[in-house]
Amino acid sequence: MKILIATSGVPFIRGDAEILAEGLREAFSKAGHEAELVVIPFQPYAPDRIPDQILACRLLDLTETCGVRIDRVIGLTFPAYLIPHPNKVIWLLHQHRAAYELWDQPAADSLMHYPDGFVIREAIRQADRELIPEARAVYAPSQSVAERLRRYSGITSEPLYHPPANASLFHQGPAGDYFFCPGPVNSANRQWLATQAIAQCREPVRIRFAGEPGRLTGQARSADKLKGSDRIEWLGMLSEDQKRDLYANCLGVIFSPGDEDYGYVTLEAMLSAKPVIATADSGGPLEFILAERTGLVARPTPESLAEAMDTLWADRRRAAAVGEAGRAHYQDLHISWANVVEKLL
Amino acid sequence: MKINWFSPLLPARSGISRYAMQVLPVLAASHEVVIWTDQEQVAPEVHKIARVARYDPAAPPWREINNGAISFYHLGNQPDFHAGIWQVSARQPGIVVLHDLCLHDFFFTLSVRRGQDRAAYLNAMERWYGQEGCRSAEAFCAGGISAESMAQNFPLTREAARNALGAITHCGGALEELHETPACPAAALDFPYAAAGESRYRAWLAARDGMPHLPYRLVVFGYLNRNRRLGPLLEALAGLREREQFRLELCGQLWDESHIRHEIERLGLSSIVSLHGFLTEDEVEQKLSTAHLAINLRYPSMGEASLSELQFWDYGLPTLVTRTGWYASLPEDAVAFVRPESEVADLQSQLRAFLADPGAFRAMGERGRRLLKNHDPERYVDALTRFAAEALRLAPRISALALAQRIGSDLTEWLPAAASPYLLERASKEICTIFEGHRRG
Repeated sequence: MKILIATSGVPFIRGDAEILAEGLREAFSKAGHEAELVVIPFQPYAPDRIPDQILACRLLDLTETCGVRIDRVIGLTFPAYLIPHPNKVIWLLHQHRAAYELWDQPAADSLMHYPDGFVIREAIRQADRELIPEARAVYAPSQSVAERLRRYSGITSEPLYHPPANASLFHQGPAGDYFFCPGPVNSANRQWLATQAIAQCREPVRIRFAGEPGRLTGQARSADKLKGSDRIEWLGMLSEDQKRDLYANCLGVIFSPGDEDYGYVTLEAMLSAKPVIATADSGGPLEFILAERTGLVARPTPESLAEAMDTLWADRRRAAAVGEAGRAHYQDLHISWANVVEKLL
Repeated sequence: MKINWFSPLLPARSGISRYAMQVLPVLAASHEVVIWTDQEQVAPEVHKIARVARYDPAAPPWREINNGAISFYHLGNQPDFHAGIWQVSARQPGIVVLHDLCLHDFFFTLSVRRGQDRAAYLNAMERWYGQEGCRSAEAFCAGGISAESMAQNFPLTREAARNALGAITHCGGALEELHETPACPAAALDFPYAAAGESRYRAWLAARDGMPHLPYRLVVFGYLNRNRRLGPLLEALAGLREREQFRLELCGQLWDESHIRHEIERLGLSSIVSLHGFLTEDEVEQKLSTAHLAINLRYPSMGEASLSELQFWDYGLPTLVTRTGWYASLPEDAVAFVRPESEVADLQSQLRAFLADPGAFRAMGERGRRLLKNHDPERYVDALTRFAAEALRLAPRISALALAQRIGSDLTEWLPAAASPYLLERASKEICTIFEGHRRG
């Protein structure tokens, strides 16, 4: 089959969506199909032009190329998933979140800061409600995204899990004297919870963070200075090999985002047989964590997170057992690209 | 529903601030309301209704405003009261409540007199009235056309609703008559008024009956602008042989007090006409409960509904009104009409009719009071919020229209005319599908 993967991207920015799109293309190729990416440049910082971008997508014709029929279009991200095609399947990584659950968040690019922001929001919501159902089938990367799509747009979709990049390269090592906290340092990933929590731990807990503390909020940084800073290490940019080694040799993984769509970190920790500590409002990661069996779920407060960290630090045997159970659970979920390809085609 | 409310507020001497006091308590009882203001002072009784928030028209707090589901912008002809509200409404789409329909003077004052931005005024005139509007605007700026003529011929009502999700008036069919129907949904609602209870009404009637009948007391109330027709009224009174049977009380701020005083003296009416300035609530009650006839003329009318008229009815007062605008829509048996083209003669004829049969006029006032049930604020608020909900549903249309305008303008710049119909058709079809859901009907 000839397959086009329609996605949107901000030029020169590479994130999870780009990695997933490439992973999907590779998976189609491995399954014997011809697949290419069609990347629509998207500029979320000019909200009043978003309707223009929706229309631009609608006017594209991906039905054929050089007289040869395109058999299937897979739509991934807004507004690229709105491109019409008679055999389109949407695997909706996420909607334009500023028009949905992030509408009233304080982020600088929130539509709420714009005088006509709510009109743009309503236009985006209308377009989604009207045009997503054109697809032959709609999948979501997680239950969390599927639920949001149902709640806001009234559209039913099926969760379709996929493995993290290079899943086979994750390995297991001896448990070291640190928790690993991967993922970009930003407000969404809420590393500040961990920096505040360490000051409240009874055990001599240590945390190694991927990235730099530059993007932490002032509150979190000051807590870091006050207490426990000698037990925090900022590792800066890591190579993929370094990251996998840090996973393999940690005692456990801390991942406490707010309403995360999917959360590769959880799956990477499970592939490394390490227990994950998430919070009750983390969203996607909770779909994989069986509380107390494959990870710990704390309340989203430094005190509760500190308690969970102390628990694993004080009982390393239990930490190892929970990590092992996580790896076994991952296997049981049959998360594979082959499954994704089969569903999407 | 979370509602943003932008209107003049007490103590501003605007009928709209009094209107707000009728509507806001009812609205705030069933919705979360934030009352926005750029006034320096807001009366304590407004603070008791809902949270009052301040805004700077030059830099409105969009994030906080966007926290509301919908904004109501109350616009009228007074730049002192409405300039800031207009500035916000021009940028954030909401429901525009038009308290005046002829807004030419408002936009001219705002752009040219205050803003020194003649181009903005000319653009608005060209936008709605084409080359003819632009030429007339130039002539008006040069002093060649009167303000009244411009207001009647080029009311600029649509400019006020240019960015609106919906427009509300208080006068059915007025927008169509003016040829000023906006692109957004529009509705005409009965102006709200909370009538006094029956026992209070009876007390007013008793007060009136307790007063000596002669001379009959005539009252004029409100902001006494040029269109309140005091000139013809004084002239009619002066020419009436039976004038000594009347006393006329002018209550409210006069647009040119020295001119009116001069006229009263010139026409020999000093013993008949008295000026009272702006009255307190108690003074208003005293005047209206002891008056026999209210004179509520407007010409030219800016299309507005009159809170004063409803207040006169509340007291069971008969009224003389001009047969124009909203007043012309009032029932024949609830008011007595004066034609704009024969004001003096009609005024004299109505005053004589009053002298001949005061009971018939009194019955007219009572019929007016019965009509107040149509103006119940709860009924008004219900209609207002239902309209807002429907307008919100159609909000994506704002994006659709803006997009269509941009696409049309862009395509006509670079595309050969012969090729454009296909592309325009395709683009417009897609825009309809995306934002209006036409595909699914």
